[in-house]
Amino acid sequence: MSGERSTARTTLARAGEGLPTGRSVGLAIGALFWAWLVVRWVTIWAGYSEPFFPVAFFEGLATGFENDALVMQQNTGALAPVLDFVAGFWFLFSDVASFVAFAVEYLPTLAEGAWLTVVLTVAGIAFGLVIAVPLSVARVYGGVVTRSLALVYIELIRGTPLLAQLFVIYYGLNMSQYFRGVSSGLLPTTAVWVAIVGFTINSAAYQAEYIRSALESVESGQLTAARAIGLSRIDGIRHVVLPQGLRYAIPGWTNELVYLIKYSSLAAFITVVELFESGRDIAGQTFQYLNIYALLALFYLALVLSATLFMGWVEDRVAIPGLGVRDGRE
Amino acid sequence: MSDQHSGTADGTDTSAATASGTEASDTDTASADAATAGAASQPLLRVEDLQKSYGDETVLRGISFDLDKRDVEVIIGPSGSGKSTMLRCVNRLTEFQGGAIYLDGESVMAMNDNDLRRRVGMVFQDINLFAHLTALQNVTLGLRKVRGMGKEAAREKAMDQLDRVGLASQADSYPAELSGGQKQRVGIARALAMDPELLLFDEPTSALDPELVGEVLEVMRDLAEGGMTMLVVTHEMGFARRAASSLMFLDEGRIVERGPPEQLFDDPEHDRTAEFLQRLTTISEEV
Ligand SMILES: Nc1ncnc2c1ncn2[C@@H]1O[C@H](COP(=O)(O)OP(=O)(O)O)[C@@H](O)[C@H]1O
Ligand SMILES: [Mg+2]
Repeated sequence: MSGERSTARTTLARAGEGLPTGRSVGLAIGALFWAWLVVRWVTIWAGYSEPFFPVAFFEGLATGFENDALVMQQNTGALAPVLDFVAGFWFLFSDVASFVAFAVEYLPTLAEGAWLTVVLTVAGIAFGLVIAVPLSVARVYGGVVTRSLALVYIELIRGTPLLAQLFVIYYGLNMSQYFRGVSSGLLPTTAVWVAIVGFTINSAAYQAEYIRSALESVESGQLTAARAIGLSRIDGIRHVVLPQGLRYAIPGWTNELVYLIKYSSLAAFITVVELFESGRDIAGQTFQYLNIYALLALFYLALVLSATLFMGWVEDRVAIPGLGVRDGRE
Repeated sequence: MSDQHSGTADGTDTSAATASGTEASDTDTASADAATAGAASQPLLRVEDLQKSYGDETVLRGISFDLDKRDVEVIIGPSGSGKSTMLRCVNRLTEFQGGAIYLDGESVMAMNDNDLRRRVGMVFQDINLFAHLTALQNVTLGLRKVRGMGKEAAREKAMDQLDRVGLASQADSYPAELSGGQKQRVGIARALAMDPELLLFDEPTSALDPELVGEVLEVMRDLAEGGMTMLVVTHEMGFARRAASSLMFLDEGRIVERGPPEQLFDDPEHDRTAEFLQRLTTISEEV
């Protein structure tokens, strides 16, 4: 009855089982992260891009630790081995402090990039879903023609690289020209719009596949029963099959969201300065490759975990006793 | 197997049948149903030489019978004999190739699918409740989306139907929270809510645990006594004896024998009927 939950949530739940407050600590960190991110976005749009925390303070801290460590290493007295050992930690603290200083300095730039990453992901998923639903319905319930068309679209998109698709619409079809005049401060370049189109087209195909298999796991007898009370086929699909199928599709949908967060970095290749590209820019200026990629990784991790938590919450919200995900589907 | 009913163009066939069917219906009923007192009106359901095949496989080979209002017809027959198929032809969940079906004198071929299904309810062997909806919502869906009733009116009517099958207290339970027997009673309430003129039952108790069969049959008996016209595929012979006005034995897509239940039970014309009933009785006694 109270069997397995979706994989993502199981993992999170299990991770939190040991410490009773693990989950709430995670949520608190998440809330802090998003509060900071949103405030950061607002201030950047308002024209203020300076770090919220003093860079110099952390730099000073780093120098202080390093100097102390060097002093400790100079010591040749009886305590030398101990001080040597402690110095190791002081060097570590120094590194951490300089990483924090670095992070504080460049987080505003990354936040700006993260805005586009979030926009691309959310728009790609949302618009993709709008297309994916009719696509998957056509794939499962359509006639020969609509079914084949849906199949061709899905397989064509899933069978070719996303990057190639972006190149085709950006360089090949020069789609930017259609978006002149709609770019604003929030979506700074026409390339962002093209990327949204690209991710929508791409994500629609993947989501359609997830939804297709979810629709197929709704027993066909229910559609027959819907028709038997006088609902048309399409109304039966709408009121009976889809509400169940979409619930079944949530775990797959979570996967797609996580993929898209990371794949949105491909937009960099069509000049969109999203999270990854803004990180690369910083690396190009500072040559601090390790620091910047560690920071990027943390940033992506925060986004991915947020998405997973959010989808878990959605899944809980729409859960229906005995339906699908919880009982015997995994 | 080999007698294919090809050749006849469907369109002309149906229209011809419609014309002759309405013309002849009065005299037909009078002669065929002399026993039924005052049968001046046409039958509620008339099935005429119904033929149906799936690809090369002929499933129904010319089925004809009438069903008057308030009649309860029980259909028995071996697995694969075409019982489900016949029911599904009546509400056109499946198309048929030959013959005609009239509901209250009107050919079902000429009717809008969804109108027809509003008038002919169906209860399924595998129940097929909408799994994401509560018992109440299972019943209101048709009222809201097919009959366009308002939320409150639909709720009220649905509660009446649930009450009728003794499940008003479970209105807010989801299918997964109900027993098989309760589910099937919701299935019946769902069909009843549309105010059908005819109810089709396709082995409504065969998927249930034996101890849950009784509550469903009881609801069905109540319906029969209340005057509902029913076409029931079932092998519950107790129900047939007590509630059926007529019993039909179907085999290989043909009606082997049809008559009052006592006659088929006690004095069947055909050996096959006797044999089949014999087997049914021994099986149900074993259970
Ligand atoms: N959708 C279908 N497609 C092809 N053949 C079918 C289909 N439904 C039923 N049949 C065939 O029609 C015959 C009669 O089936 P059915 O009406 O379900 O029999 P019963 O209900 O008496 O067991 C069977 O041989 C079955 O294989
Ligand atoms: Mg059957």
